[in-house]
Amino acid sequence: MSASRNRMSRPALALVLIGAGIMLAPLLWTLLLSLKSNSALMRSSSTAFHGPWTLENYAAILGNSQVLHWLLNSIIVSLGTTGGVLILCSLAGYGFARLDFPFKRALFLLVLLGLAIPEQAVILPRHRLFAELGLHNSYPGLILPGLVAPFGVFFMTQYFRSIPVELDEAAMLDGASRWTIFWKVLLPLTIPAQSALAVFTFLGSWNDYWWPLISATRSDRFTLTVGLASSQMNYAQTSGLGYLMAQAVFASVPILIVYLVFQKQIVRAMSGAAVR
Amino acid sequence: MKRLLALALTLLVLSCAPADKRTHINLQRFFGECGALYGHSIDVAHAEGECGIMTTLINRFNAENPDVHVDVNVVAWPGYAQLSAQIAARDPPDLVTMHQGVLTDYAARGLVEPVEPMLRQAGLKPDDFTDAGRRGVTKNGAMYGVPWDTIGGLFHINTALFAKAGLLRAGKPVLPTSPRELLAQARQFKERTGTPYFIQSEVNDPATQVRNLYTYLLAQDAVIFPDAHHIRLTTHQAKEIVTLFKTINDQHLSTLNQDTPAAINSFLNGQGGIYPTGTWMIGSFQAESETPGRPLYRSYAVFPYPRLWGHPAAFVDGHSWVMPKRKRSPATRAAIARFLAFMAAHNFDWSRTGHVSAMKAVVASAAFKQLPHRADIAPLAEIGRPLPGTIRRQGAIEGILGEELAAAISGQKPVAQALADAERRTNTLLAQLD
Repeated sequence: MSASRNRMSRPALALVLIGAGIMLAPLLWTLLLSLKSNSALMRSSSTAFHGPWTLENYAAILGNSQVLHWLLNSIIVSLGTTGGVLILCSLAGYGFARLDFPFKRALFLLVLLGLAIPEQAVILPRHRLFAELGLHNSYPGLILPGLVAPFGVFFMTQYFRSIPVELDEAAMLDGASRWTIFWKVLLPLTIPAQSALAVFTFLGSWNDYWWPLISATRSDRFTLTVGLASSQMNYAQTSGLGYLMAQAVFASVPILIVYLVFQKQIVRAMSGAAVR
Repeated sequence: MKRLLALALTLLVLSCAPADKRTHINLQRFFGECGALYGHSIDVAHAEGECGIMTTLINRFNAENPDVHVDVNVVAWPGYAQLSAQIAARDPPDLVTMHQGVLTDYAARGLVEPVEPMLRQAGLKPDDFTDAGRRGVTKNGAMYGVPWDTIGGLFHINTALFAKAGLLRAGKPVLPTSPRELLAQARQFKERTGTPYFIQSEVNDPATQVRNLYTYLLAQDAVIFPDAHHIRLTTHQAKEIVTLFKTINDQHLSTLNQDTPAAINSFLNGQGGIYPTGTWMIGSFQAESETPGRPLYRSYAVFPYPRLWGHPAAFVDGHSWVMPKRKRSPATRAAIARFLAFMAAHNFDWSRTGHVSAMKAVVASAAFKQLPHRADIAPLAEIGRPLPGTIRRQGAIEGILGEELAAAISGQKPVAQALADAERRTNTLLAQLD
C-alpha cells in the first residue's frame, strides 16, 4: 500500500515541481536581471546568465534619500489599513451574525453590493470629497479608503455565523454582557479568519498604486510603490532594465517577509480552511 | 522633574529655527529621480542623461539664487494623472513639465496660464524659440508653455552595414529620395548584408508607425485634421504611405514582431541598417559607437527622416514648462521668471540629452553643432511640425491609429479598410469633446 502510494505520489510530485519551477522562473529572472548593469542589459538580456554581476542598481535605490521614508509611509499606511479593517470588519461581522436590528438584511445586502462596485466607479467623487476635507497628502487620506472593506465584512460575518450560538448562550447564563461575549468568547475563536483577512488586507494595501498616485502627490507622502515609480527614467524598460528589476525585488522584500511569517495563515486562507 | 523641564526647554529652543524667508517654487517634473548620483551636484557640465542634467540644473539655480528655492516633486512618468488630481484638488504646482501634445487638452479647458506675460518678465521673447518649439506650445494663437526641447523620429543608422551594402558615399549614408528608391535600396541592403534594412519596434509601440504616417503626410502638406473634431485619413496620400509600410513588412525588409527593447537590442548588435526611433536614443547609441569591439563602434550616424514625398518635414513633439492656473504672489511670479530665464540660458546643457534645443541661439551655436551628430539633426528645429494646436486627446488618437496601422501592415485588414476604420474611430472620439 505504501509503495503504491509512493508510486502515485512521484508523478504528482513531478507535476508540482514543474509547476513551482514555472512560477519561480520569472522571479528568478527578475532577480538575475536586477544584478546586471543597465548598459549590459541593453546589449542583450541573456548576459544575465553570466557574470559580472553587480549590486549597483540596489545601491542606486538605497542612495535615494527618500526611499526609507517611502518605506515607512508604506508600513504606516498598510498597518493602519490592516488594523482598521480588522476592527471594523470584526464588529460588523459580529453584528450581522449575532444581533437583530431593523433593516439588517437590507444593510447586509448593501454591503454585498459593495463587492460589485469597482474602485474606478467611485474614484472621482472620492477624490473630490477628500479634497474638500483637505485629506490629500496625509496618512488618513491614504488609510481611510482602504477601511471600506465589504469583502472583510462578508468574510467575518460568515466566520461568526459558523461559531455555535450555544457558546453565546452559555456565556449569557454565566452573566456575560454582549461586549464580554464578543471580546472574550468569540473574538479569540476568529483568530484564523482575522489572520487571513489581515494578510490579504496588508498585501492589498502594500501593492496599491492608483489611489496613492493621485492622493499623495507630494513626494514626502509617497508610498513605496509610487515613490519607486517616480524614480524611474522615462525609458526604464529599455535603458534602465536592471534598475527597474531591482526596484521590483526591493519592493517585494517586505511582502516576502510577511509571507514567510504568516505562511500558515496564508495557505489556510487560500485553501478556504479559514472559513469553517 | 527638573530633567524633564530641561528637556522640554531644549526642544523648545531647538524648534525655534530661523524663519525661511526664501520664495519657494513648487516644481513638478518627470525624467526620473537620481538623487543618489546628483543630489548635491551643481556641476551641470559633467552631468549625464535627462535626470542628471535636470537635477544639477535645478541644484545650481538654488545655489545661485539664495533668496529662492525650487522644491522639486518628481512624479511617476508621465505624471498627468497626478497633475489632473492636483488641479481637481485645487492644489497644482507652480511649474510642471508637460509634453506639447498633451498641453492642448489642458489649454482647451482653461487649466493653464498663457505664458507670454511670464516670458516678458523673464526677458525672453517668443522669437527666441525655434519654429518647432513655438508651434508646439501655441494653442489658439497663445503660447501656453515655455518650449524646452523638440523630440521626434530620426533614422539611426549602422554605417558599417551601409558600407557593406554599398550605400555609403564620402562617409555618409545614401538615403532614398522616393518610395521606389527606398524599396530598391532596402532590397540591395538585404541582399548584400543578409540583414533587414529596417529595425522597427512594432509590438506594444503604436507611436512608431503613427509618427511615420504623420511625418509623410505633413511632408505632402496633407490636411490631417480639417477641424478640431475630424481627422481625414481616407485619402490617396495616406493609402500610398501605409501601402509602403506594408510592402516593407511583406518583403521582410524590416525586422518583424519586435517590441522596443528587442529592437534596441537588434540595433546595438548590428542586426539591421536603420532604426527609426526618437532623439532620446542618441546618447546610448553614441556611447556604443565609442566602445571598441561593439558592432556600432565608429559606425553610427543619425539623420532626420529622408524626404520621400513632398518637402522635408518631421512630426515632432516636445517638452515644455507649463504654469497651471492658481493664485501666485508677485514674489513667486518673479521667482518663476528668474527660474525660466536661468533654464533658457542653460538650454544648451539640456541638448546634451539628444533632444533638439528649443532655443534658436543654441541650435545656431558652434557648441551645439560640435556635439556628436547635432549638426545633422539640427534641421529638426525648422522642419519639425506638431499636430495643430486645436487637436485634443492626441495620445488616445495615437492609440487608435497605431492599432489600425498594425492591422493594415500585418495584413489583418486591407489598407483602405484600416484607414477608414481609423478615421471613423477617431472621429467618434473627437465628437465626444465639447
